[in-house]
Amino acid sequence: MSKKLMTRTAGLALASLMASTMIGGAMAEEDTIKVGILHSLSGTMAISETTLKDAMLMLIEEQNKKGGLLGKKLEAVVVDPASDWPLFAEKARELIEVNKVSAVFGCWTSVSRKSVLPVFEELNSVLFYPVQYEGEESQRNVFYTGAAPNQQAIPAVDYLMSEEGGAVKRWVLAGTDYVYPRTTNKILEAYLKAKGVADEDIMINYTPFGHSDWQTIVSDIKAFGSAGKKTAVVSTINGDANVPFYKELGNAGIKAEDIPVVAFSVGEEELAGLDTAPLVGHLAAWNYFQSADTEVNAEFIDTWHAYTKDDKRVTNDPMEASYIGFNMWLKAVEKAGTTDSDAVIDALVGVSVPNLTGGYSAMMPNHHITKPVLIGEIQEDGQFETVWETSGLVAGDAWSDYLEGSKDLISDWRAPLSCGNFNTATGKCGGSGS
Amino acid sequence: MSFLKSFLLLLCLLTGFSGAVIAQEDLESLRPLVNALAEGKFKETEQQVADLAATGNPAVAPLLEALGNGDLQFRKSDKAVFITRSAGKGYQLIDPLTHEVAGEASRSEVTKIKVNNGLRRSIRAALGSLTLMAKDPDVRKTAAAAIFKAKDPEAIESLDTAIAKESDDDVRLVMEQARAAAVLNSDGGDADRLEAIDVLASMGNRDALSLLTGFAASAEGEQKAAADKAITRINKSLALWGNAQNIWYGVSLGSVLLLAAIGLAITFGVMGVINMAHGEMVMIGAYVTFMVQEMIRSSAPWLFDYSLLIALPLAFVISGGIGMAIERGVIRWLYGRPLETLLATWGISLMLQQAVRSIFGPTNQEVGNPSWMSGAFELGQLTITYNRMWIIVFALLVFAGLMLVLKKTPFGLFTRAVTQNRRMAASMGIRTPWIDALTFGLGSGIAGIAGVALSQIDNVSPNLGQGYIIDSFMVVVFGGVGNLWGTLVGAMTLGVVNKFLEPYAGAVLGKILVLVFIILFIQKRPRGLFALKGRAVEA
Amino acid sequence: MMTSFLFRTLDARAGIFIGLMLAAIILVPALNLLVPEGSTFHVPTYAVTLMGKYLTYALLALSVDLVWGYCGILSLGHGAFFALGGYAMGMYLMRQIGTRGVYGDPILPDFMVFLNWKELPWYWYGFDMFPFAALIVLLAPGILAFVFGWFAFRSRVTGVYLSIITQALTYALLLAFFRNDMGFGGNNGLTDFKDILGFDIQAGTTRAGLFAASGLALVVCFLICRAVTRSKLGKVLVAVRDAESRTRFLGYRVEHYKLFVWTLSAMMAGIAGALYVPQVGIINPGEFAPANSIEVVIWVAVGGRGTLVGAVLGAILVNFSKTWFTAALPEIWLFALGGLFVVVTLFLPKGLLGLMDKGWSALRRRPAKDTAAHGAEPQPAE
Repeated sequence: MSKKLMTRTAGLALASLMASTMIGGAMAEEDTIKVGILHSLSGTMAISETTLKDAMLMLIEEQNKKGGLLGKKLEAVVVDPASDWPLFAEKARELIEVNKVSAVFGCWTSVSRKSVLPVFEELNSVLFYPVQYEGEESQRNVFYTGAAPNQQAIPAVDYLMSEEGGAVKRWVLAGTDYVYPRTTNKILEAYLKAKGVADEDIMINYTPFGHSDWQTIVSDIKAFGSAGKKTAVVSTINGDANVPFYKELGNAGIKAEDIPVVAFSVGEEELAGLDTAPLVGHLAAWNYFQSADTEVNAEFIDTWHAYTKDDKRVTNDPMEASYIGFNMWLKAVEKAGTTDSDAVIDALVGVSVPNLTGGYSAMMPNHHITKPVLIGEIQEDGQFETVWETSGLVAGDAWSDYLEGSKDLISDWRAPLSCGNFNTATGKCGGSGS
Repeated sequence: MSFLKSFLLLLCLLTGFSGAVIAQEDLESLRPLVNALAEGKFKETEQQVADLAATGNPAVAPLLEALGNGDLQFRKSDKAVFITRSAGKGYQLIDPLTHEVAGEASRSEVTKIKVNNGLRRSIRAALGSLTLMAKDPDVRKTAAAAIFKAKDPEAIESLDTAIAKESDDDVRLVMEQARAAAVLNSDGGDADRLEAIDVLASMGNRDALSLLTGFAASAEGEQKAAADKAITRINKSLALWGNAQNIWYGVSLGSVLLLAAIGLAITFGVMGVINMAHGEMVMIGAYVTFMVQEMIRSSAPWLFDYSLLIALPLAFVISGGIGMAIERGVIRWLYGRPLETLLATWGISLMLQQAVRSIFGPTNQEVGNPSWMSGAFELGQLTITYNRMWIIVFALLVFAGLMLVLKKTPFGLFTRAVTQNRRMAASMGIRTPWIDALTFGLGSGIAGIAGVALSQIDNVSPNLGQGYIIDSFMVVVFGGVGNLWGTLVGAMTLGVVNKFLEPYAGAVLGKILVLVFIILFIQKRPRGLFALKGRAVEA
Repeated sequence: MMTSFLFRTLDARAGIFIGLMLAAIILVPALNLLVPEGSTFHVPTYAVTLMGKYLTYALLALSVDLVWGYCGILSLGHGAFFALGGYAMGMYLMRQIGTRGVYGDPILPDFMVFLNWKELPWYWYGFDMFPFAALIVLLAPGILAFVFGWFAFRSRVTGVYLSIITQALTYALLLAFFRNDMGFGGNNGLTDFKDILGFDIQAGTTRAGLFAASGLALVVCFLICRAVTRSKLGKVLVAVRDAESRTRFLGYRVEHYKLFVWTLSAMMAGIAGALYVPQVGIINPGEFAPANSIEVVIWVAVGGRGTLVGAVLGAILVNFSKTWFTAALPEIWLFALGGLFVVVTLFLPKGLLGLMDKGWSALRRRPAKDTAAHGAEPQPAE
């Protein structure tokens, strides 16, 4: 009796084992170049990341229309890491080992990037990371096409401190409690103090993910702003929590003329869920706005609308970063003549491609890129209007000069240095330790 | 929406000035100043705005209003400045001074005159001085408030004239406050300033505090002493109001929790179904609101203020219908196996989320506040936002309505009978399966109308429900499963406790403490706040 | 009569299970390491890690089945114990990084350096030693479960109330671990591990070894669970599950029994977490998410509650389908997964194992006796 049961159980177990090895054994066919797309399509981050998946598919389709790459067609491999961080690592491994992709475009949150880093290092593949982040990282296999803090946070604060920005003297640093706001606020705090802002003129506040009841905090901001000095809020509040925050802000009557809020994580996509009329004049700092008045941007928006068959779909900064990253990869592969990781990684440094705001972005030796920094004010139609921009391009700084642990560190992946965390004080690669 | 508002305001302004006959040449003398706006950066524009305001010409007011709203554009070909209004694919051009239609232009032919926050501030101040004598008391009040913010000493004179003429007490008070602010900012004499400090002290709000603190930092002698005294007074009263404010915030948070949980109190509390798809019912209600608003926006914009009232019954029917479908299709096979309902409804919840994501896309959808739900009013030193207030009212109404249905209607009687003793109820001739379906539908429908309300303060995205499901379960369990009063008291208690903890512990720690509090509370009262008594307890 | 029959089938089942597990422990690493890569019999490292992860999930499911299937305690917070075990292991792995972190600080983990911490917090002491970390892997979940259970069971918190406060527990821990001030890396958690017990964590041999260790842990814990459930104590547990008051009136100290099995189960979940972390390379507060704990319960239900083997089967099967769906149907996989849960609850009330038994009895043309009757008959929530 137990024999038959045994064969059944064994059969089932074997089947599942076989199936998983089959996935493992499936070989990539050689007539296309595969590109992995690692963005969450379900779970909490789907709200932001799905757009980037669509943008990547669009870019790949466009490139195939132009004849592909190295005479081959590009093929997108889409997986869903489901906003589950360990799953990101697993899926990254699957893309590289099983699907044999040549490069991966993906991740949004810092933790997803941290989760996949060891995988890319171990399997020596290439990741393009298209989102603004906290910096303090430079990895050989990763190319950061989003903004580092010095390409977003510091110029924004500079603007607000200027006469034109309102000569702000008192600062609320409000953020969601995770690593990007923590680090950005650390950097800003050090920066503000260096600029002579007193301790009591800085208020730091952290809220949990998805925080939806902002009454207390908005009234705290109001109270903090009534000390007779010009006050501004620097918001690193994460995606989901922004809508209730701005709704509360609008209803509580905090006007941009009185207490402006400058946000680093609010773009066109986030505003699409909001009635922006009460928010006109609040600010955001990015490297791209949909309103950028250039030909290449107009073309990009048209393609996007045609691809999504939706005239109202907005574009945003991480999409531009994906666009830049993708074009850089194309150029580097052409330059190297192969998709081999080592060759592409070497070829990428120094590559320069047009961005959507009318200039060129170049890949720096620290695997960050040069970008213009724009400050935009929210308009009634949910778009931003650029009110200020840096005069030239700003190069991304992997290691902040305003943090104790990283002020001596630099990154340069070119030979002979080839080091992501070279310590200029000790003259050694490998961080600040002894 | 807000274009409409500003347009109405514009209209008001125009009618306000129609009394004054404005000579044509006066207007034309402004023309060069107006057309100058087409040139220069923010700084220069700011100066131009000041120049325009200095003319004192009332025709400047609507012009500045348009500039502030971003409706002022110049034609690229001849740098002539116009007020523009969207018309089809392009703009209708309106002469900024005579307000006559001056032709049309495509989007590429004109360029917007950019404004930033600094400019908006100067426009607000300029408008304040210009409209201080307008006919409409609301406009005068706004003007005075604008001067208060700008605290421009040069406005004192015009304020004095305006105060002397003012017939409306409310408006006069605001004007006096504006004057006080301006006086503190000027180099007026001792007596004048002390009087101003008094006026501000009696205002007693944050704006006054802000002014006084700024003033006290640089003042000396008697003035400083008076200002310091006023500051202490205001701070004291604000601290008192702070407590009232915490209670209000707590009740407001409690009402949100109540709304989110009350449907669950029926499906889970009364029927015993561990309904993990409850949050998705709330989400569906929010999406119904979104669809109603979309339809209204595209075909009947004048109905926008009623959008929520239209959405309520629809959300109730749609969520309730889906709820009944779930009950008939899945849950009815699981009675007597309540824990298994957890698994099935979890699966349903995943599918509903994905369905919404596939249909509407993963991004947030815009649900606007109707005008009666936006903005805030002041009650003493308490700022009460309309949307929060209506949500509290709405939550209590839903609760009362539900109580009525359950206690006073035959359906309520049947529901209670079925949940208390299914077999006996069936023996008495009640169609228990039908009642089950209806009850589940009722619970889901109420979740749906909760979604309508929550769409006003939160994201409308496929994840909406996930954010509320855990809190809802906490509320129901804390209050006592099966007891609606428990849900009410539970929601309010948790809301208020949370809001009193938040200022001290911060939002994150506050929430953790509330959870620990719930865990400890359940140790003390293992059946929740209002435990059901009787034999059902040990079933 | 009934029970003896039951145990006989369990015996057979357990035999098969242990046999299969041992075979996998030997075969998979062997096929991975010894067979060359081109061969059809080669198991890629990717698959080894994946299966290793499944095994740790299986162990977690086993621990839930022990309390839910045999003692009627529906825990919606077992993910907390899993994550605590994982964090203990993660802290050990963090300390092993030493100067290889990006800042090269010999003592402080990277996230502390960039948050400007100067000293290692006291609760990080000792984690540089593996035995200490291993002890904490057991003790942290164990002590938490003991304290929590001691209060809850003594106050006679039962049924759905207990389920919800276990959920509150894991939710509170989730929020707490999110806080960067706690010193556990906040949302990013602990990552970038280099080696474990001196072996390179990325090496194929280490991965195979971790797979084998997970398999072994699963077998050992399975045997412990079986010993517990088959002993007299196990019978009391079943009695508690089926009629708690009656058992109490018979003179048993119900809360002691519950507390024992609850703590034991939490420790097993901790071990599962500890083995999980080095294989996936990251531990972060997401593991505390209430949704994860609910999913574990679903694995158990899919496999068949109260059967131990069913829990393992369910965990492996659901996770395998998840892996497969997220790659094959990235846009709509939630429909498939959600549908699976609904179908299983509706049509397979006793889980997959119940289905097998049914098929088995039909095959034997026996009167359709419910072999797993006591196992799959769930209790009312109240």
